[in-house]
Amino acid sequence: MKARRLPDESSDARAGWLLTAPALVVILLIALFPLGWTVWESLHEHDLRMPWLGRPFVGLGNYLTILQDARFWQALGHTALFAVISVSLELSLGLALALAMNQAFRGRGIVRAAVLVPWAIPTVVAALLWRFMFDSQAGIANVLLSDAGLLHHPLVWFVKATTAWVPVILADVWKTTPFVGLLLLAGLQSIDKELYEAASTDGASAWWQLRHITIPLLKPAILVALIFRTLDAFRVFDLIYVMTGGGPGTSTEPVALYTFNSLLQNLEFGYGAALSVIVFLVTFGLAMLYMRGLGVDLAGPRGRR
Amino acid sequence: MRPLLTLPLPLALIALLSCQSGRPDDGRTVITFAGSALGAEGEVLAREVARFERANPTIHVRVQHTPDDATQRHQLFVQWLNARAGEPDVLQLDVVWTPEFAAAGWVLSLDRWHPAAGDFFPSTIAANTWAGSLYAIPWWMDVGMLYWRTDLFRAAPASMDEMVADMERARRAGVPYGIVWQGARYEGLVTCFLEYLGAFGGKVMTDDGRIVVDSPEGIRALTFVRQLLSSGATPAEVLTWHEEESRFAFQNGNAAFMRNWPYAVTIMNVPKDSRVAGKFAVAAMPGAPGGVSTATLGGSALGINAFTEHADAAWKLVEFLTAPEQMLERSRLGGYPPRRALYDDPRLADVIPIPVALARSIVERAAPRPATPIYSQLSELLQIDLHRALSGQVAPDQALHDAARAMNALVERTHIRDLVASRKRNSP
Repeated sequence: MKARRLPDESSDARAGWLLTAPALVVILLIALFPLGWTVWESLHEHDLRMPWLGRPFVGLGNYLTILQDARFWQALGHTALFAVISVSLELSLGLALALAMNQAFRGRGIVRAAVLVPWAIPTVVAALLWRFMFDSQAGIANVLLSDAGLLHHPLVWFVKATTAWVPVILADVWKTTPFVGLLLLAGLQSIDKELYEAASTDGASAWWQLRHITIPLLKPAILVALIFRTLDAFRVFDLIYVMTGGGPGTSTEPVALYTFNSLLQNLEFGYGAALSVIVFLVTFGLAMLYMRGLGVDLAGPRGRR
Repeated sequence: MRPLLTLPLPLALIALLSCQSGRPDDGRTVITFAGSALGAEGEVLAREVARFERANPTIHVRVQHTPDDATQRHQLFVQWLNARAGEPDVLQLDVVWTPEFAAAGWVLSLDRWHPAAGDFFPSTIAANTWAGSLYAIPWWMDVGMLYWRTDLFRAAPASMDEMVADMERARRAGVPYGIVWQGARYEGLVTCFLEYLGAFGGKVMTDDGRIVVDSPEGIRALTFVRQLLSSGATPAEVLTWHEEESRFAFQNGNAAFMRNWPYAVTIMNVPKDSRVAGKFAVAAMPGAPGGVSTATLGGSALGINAFTEHADAAWKLVEFLTAPEQMLERSRLGGYPPRRALYDDPRLADVIPIPVALARSIVERAAPRPATPIYSQLSELLQIDLHRALSGQVAPDQALHDAARAMNALVERTHIRDLVASRKRNSP
């Protein structure tokens, strides 16, 4: 065998770029190009159903209209409400679930797998299921509540703004708590057992251990769960589309449903694109805020050892 | 090597697809029909198309099934026509789409073939006319009507007040609901509301395109519907119901009245599925002082793609499918024929499930929804505010003022009125 000269650093870098080039091109094509196109589209008045209006360039006109659009602000409010309530419930229940699953008990493997079932059910199916359960006449929710003496008349959940949110949020919590639970469980298992042993030796209570060992060390996992869930909640669409359709009126309509409505139902490409860009900016901003605010590097402890 | 191996597959697909369009090998002109083509509807259509091809040996018709869901089909058509696709040549249009497609320049004006518009009910022609030209031929019509229980009442109510009194009597006798209808936030809600609006003498839009739904008559109509809900005559659940949920309630004997389309008559007369089989009849929705008894017009019309390469062949198919023979055959499927003369044809009695005179009296009251290119968007705005008022979030007058303001803003933004005026000037 002939000895080969080691390649120098610059040709190494060139080879690196060359090797990543296909991936970069693909990312450019499937992520950045559509995004750029959407931004460009959002600067036009473009209504597919009204070709007589043409496709005039209107600059930030669509954005200015959105800022004065009461339905948009309401939708944003609904989305925020949904995100805050459902994510906090999912996180607290998920943590409890993770702590329980972290204990050693018989059949733990089966429990861990079974817990994933709600998560594995397609959202549309889960949404239909919950809608049936909250049906005013045949639904089990009303039966249980009246048997418990809490209801005198069957409640028609989906015709009141406040009550329509209850099944929606419950369905989301039911469906995604297991996901949060498993994410946190993975975090729990990476915590060194010796820390707890040492704390116990020093007489620390379980509550103290939870607050001073578990939660701080679980922070990266919590952050991942929080980001995933908040961004998902902010883009909530199918669940509400199936369960309430945004009603009654528009009182459960989230931003994604409003966007879908103007973009795909009404085919207002310009306005819908502007709405999509705003949703994108809001979710992007949220992700940034989390990363900064919680001071955790998503990629792990790299470079901070 | 991999990419080379997989290349033939897309090529074969392209070859396959290109075989399907254009001229077949035998030199016949191929036209494509897009519409509902499943089940019984598909069988009737296939028979009719076979007869058409026998009568027109130079034309071959390809039937392309499109989704039965109106919203999905609409979306598909808009995408095709926006791309100026020449196919499908003949389009099955929901009655409210014609002005939209006409204004967009997506369907041909049929005036050049001089269709005999006078043979059809005027409401069905009005719905398919835009800026003075006819753009689609009515194929079959749907009308909103009142289903009433013959075991509870001796006759259908002659007025809204009578209907309210009847419902109270029936509920005292143990029938849970007075009247069920379609109250979910969708097009069905508007079709129901328009019948009350007509009954009280209101309308959505003036002939010159201004929104007047918040007139005193409109407010009276919406207040009346709101009272149906607040008095319990209509259960609150109705605000989440479409056609089928209301049919189930009526069919199980839970309601004295139901507002629905004609399709339910045959289904609910099957004794093993229906507790009201043989115990109900239909009538026109009643009127009220100041207005007229109104039946919202639904149904389908046939239009021709403006980008077709075979306009004359396409017209031949449209003419054939809407001819009296075919219309009669199609009436078995549930809708009513839009040709007036057919109601004097003794054969109609064999194909529709209700007495012909009754059917005629209802379809004569048919009122089209506003024939404007922006109907769907206007309807969506109206749906939201109607639903808010009916679910008790805002008062009826406030809801209609809000709706009218938003709808008028849309009329202004889309320059619809200028467009109609300029089209009318330019057409001979």
